[in-house]
Amino acid sequence: MIRKEAISIVVKKIGDHPVISANGLISRDLFEVCDRNSNFYMIGSMGLASSIGLGVALKNTKKRIFVFDGDGNILMNLGSLITIGTAKPKNLVHVIFDNSSHESTGGQPTATNKIQLGKIAKSTNYRVFQVKTKNQLVNVFQKIKTIPGPIMVIVKIQKGGVTSKRINIEPTKIKNRFMNSLKK
Amino acid sequence: MKELTQKQIFDYLFNNGIENFIGVPDSTMKHFIDQGFKKNKILITTKEEEAIGIAVGMSLSQSNSLVFMQNAGFANSLSTITSLVQLYQIPIIFLIGWRGFLENDAPEHTKIGKIQPKLLQALSLQSKILTEKNWKVSCNWALKLIKEKKPCTLILKRDFLD
Repeated sequence: MIRKEAISIVVKKIGDHPVISANGLISRDLFEVCDRNSNFYMIGSMGLASSIGLGVALKNTKKRIFVFDGDGNILMNLGSLITIGTAKPKNLVHVIFDNSSHESTGGQPTATNKIQLGKIAKSTNYRVFQVKTKNQLVNVFQKIKTIPGPIMVIVKIQKGGVTSKRINIEPTKIKNRFMNSLKK
Repeated sequence: MKELTQKQIFDYLFNNGIENFIGVPDSTMKHFIDQGFKKNKILITTKEEEAIGIAVGMSLSQSNSLVFMQNAGFANSLSTITSLVQLYQIPIIFLIGWRGFLENDAPEHTKIGKIQPKLLQALSLQSKILTEKNWKVSCNWALKLIKEKKPCTLILKRDFLD
């Protein structure tokens, strides 16, 4: 399973709920697979998707908030796990698309195949699920519907695929339409 | 700045629509933060950039935030300010403790204390220095900018040595 396939499976399972997506190919894939007003594409500020997601989750307790993160992104902001695990938002689902590489910058390695990110997250009060296949991915998103967060789903993916196009929406427009979608 | 003034500043901002106070502590603003803890309104993060990210998420949800930090943390945050706060035009009030303001402050603060005004200028991030006399005027200025959906900075000088 490559990232784009995984993203398209997850998007189908989560309905209209807000998504905050990490910079680089994750946001680009999401934009190409399913552009919607409730996607907040974080095109810069690497590492902060989960922090933005925490802020949105704490203020929108009736909605389930999804963060689409990468392994390089979360490794850059591991402190976020501490803060999320302390605030314990029941409505936050943190999805890590993990290919153990910085694919957006040319495929350089990250350390997620040498350490256990799931164990770190578990120790910070997350409920952690790890999947490798499309079937497991579909099933886990069914399963977590009734489980309170913070939840981490680590999706092991392969590198590769055609590079998705850049997001051609003005950042302020991304913001405005996301804010309007939260009001509904 | 006096303990009482710092507490008054917190109360004033809180009573005028700032709902979230997020950041990394600085001794310069100890009493401001203590007052926030009394009101159960403080969220401490592991790093300043994380605080900015959370504040952005809250701002997207129509809830205004102040992010507090020392100027060392401000230096950590430059890229987050340019590529998130300014890029998406997110209204946030930054409260920055100015270490290195006094020439004989601890040596690790000397350089950043000296270049802090230039950094703010280079970022085109509007700022005002809080004083015992003008704090209310400066707070009103910041609250007005927030209403106009603009980020801005309030500076608290470290005017004592320990």
